[in-house]
Amino acid sequence: MNELLKAHSPEAWVLLRPRAAWPRLAGFAAEGGRWLAWRRPLLFAFVLGCIVSLMTSGRVTLRLAGPATIYWTFVPLCEVASLAAVGARSRRKVPISRAIDLFFMGHGVWFLWLIGFAAVWAFCPAPHAFAWLSKPWVRYGPVFAAIAWSGYIDFWFFRSVFARTRAGAACALLAQRLICWSGALALFLAPSAWTVLASRLGL
Amino acid sequence: MITPRAISACLLLAALALGTLSDALHERAPVILGGYRVLAADFHVHSFPLSGSNLAPWDIVMEARRQGLDAIALTGHDNVWEGRAGRWFSSRFGGPLVLVGEEIHAPGHHVIAVGIHRTISWRLSAAAAIDEVHAQGGIAIAAHPLAGSWPAFAAAMGKLDGTEVVQPTALESEENTAQLRQFYERARAAAIGSSDYHGAGPLGVCRTYVFSRSATEQGILEALRAGRTVVFDRGRIVGDPALIRLAQQDGRLAEPPTPPPGQGLLAALSRTCGLLGLAGIVFFGFRASANGAVPQTGQHSRHSHSARSRGGRGGHAEKTVIEPPSP
Repeated sequence: MNELLKAHSPEAWVLLRPRAAWPRLAGFAAEGGRWLAWRRPLLFAFVLGCIVSLMTSGRVTLRLAGPATIYWTFVPLCEVASLAAVGARSRRKVPISRAIDLFFMGHGVWFLWLIGFAAVWAFCPAPHAFAWLSKPWVRYGPVFAAIAWSGYIDFWFFRSVFARTRAGAACALLAQRLICWSGALALFLAPSAWTVLASRLGL
Repeated sequence: MITPRAISACLLLAALALGTLSDALHERAPVILGGYRVLAADFHVHSFPLSGSNLAPWDIVMEARRQGLDAIALTGHDNVWEGRAGRWFSSRFGGPLVLVGEEIHAPGHHVIAVGIHRTISWRLSAAAAIDEVHAQGGIAIAAHPLAGSWPAFAAAMGKLDGTEVVQPTALESEENTAQLRQFYERARAAAIGSSDYHGAGPLGVCRTYVFSRSATEQGILEALRAGRTVVFDRGRIVGDPALIRLAQQDGRLAEPPTPPPGQGLLAALSRTCGLLGLAGIVFFGFRASANGAVPQTGQHSRHSHSARSRGGRGGHAEKTVIEPPSP
């Protein structure tokens, strides 16, 4: 079973045992050329599009999933850009296209969180979903757990694939998060955040 | 052999097909009560990308039709371009009436401005912002007026045209519901139900039934100024007492459906197949290696510089060797 999982689901292997998985996954050939750099980011965008459709209408419809996939490509684009920025000076063990492919392989925890979130909205009546998700441990617990575990996964990614020391991997992780999340949040929340920031700073 | 990847792909395709097939538009007959045209409206809707929502203005317009809404106000955070874009789309391609609006996003309070044409600064006090809304011919609604925002609205209570008495904030807890209800009773403005749509939950999950003289923007604004609204809130009805009696006697108006959105067998199959397919495709979509070989436990290898220099060229499957990191 363990061997089948490694062969058929590298995402699950990375999710459960990132420290063991990364060095071995990075050491294996992957077909695809330039497509290698885009297949997982595009899949991520497609998953986001389907999630939006499920949350909004309770079904997966082309009318919603298609446009939402296009809109939400900014998230994987921010991730690719942040990875390229962090990896520019690294002694990478693999080409950048393979590094991107591997990096997105570590997104299993986020996929689980997104699919769980979508399932709540797809199957629960909206009033119940709002009431249930307002509980702090329900609203924040899973997302903080996802942040923590994905941080651990990506730490070992930078250790193995980017050949960083412990301190270097931690710095790379922080830098990647800062670049990626700042970019994504700036696009998504800038107007709202600006009013709060401006009023606090007296601007 | 049927692989998990193939099964997942089939489930996803089935979900897309079933969901798209079930995504039909159901036209509703107009509701006329007491000489008024009753319009189902959502006056607090946000769109992508600048207001923290999931869908663009045009997608929102199409979704509003499917949710049975006759009118929506696209209220961007401190901007009116979302409303303008939505109104253009609706006028061009059909859809519910789209009112241009703004959520004036001041730090201590939020005001929904509906029927305006210029952005109103968030730096104004609530009273000054409402005066500016009225100067532009619009109406002002207190957005989710929980207790924390009451001081900011103190000087503006007599100027408000409406106040949100039910919206997702109220659905979160009875305490929030009580606070919104208290504010409504003090403000003596039109009862408003809004979804404050940011992408979670259906559009129009809370909605306002507006008793308008005509299905036009001016008709809606006039009805709101006159307080001719009715809002359903989990078995309770709030609004103009005479109109509430009218609605109860008629029986056609009701809360939005409480079962999950996307009713019907096709929609249920679509979401089930969709969730299973997504879970499968993200974990089984791509194999670990080109030849399907399993990376063996305990396998060691050395780094090759020449291998790295060949990397990245199209279709070139290379073997890169790597040392496991030291503990």
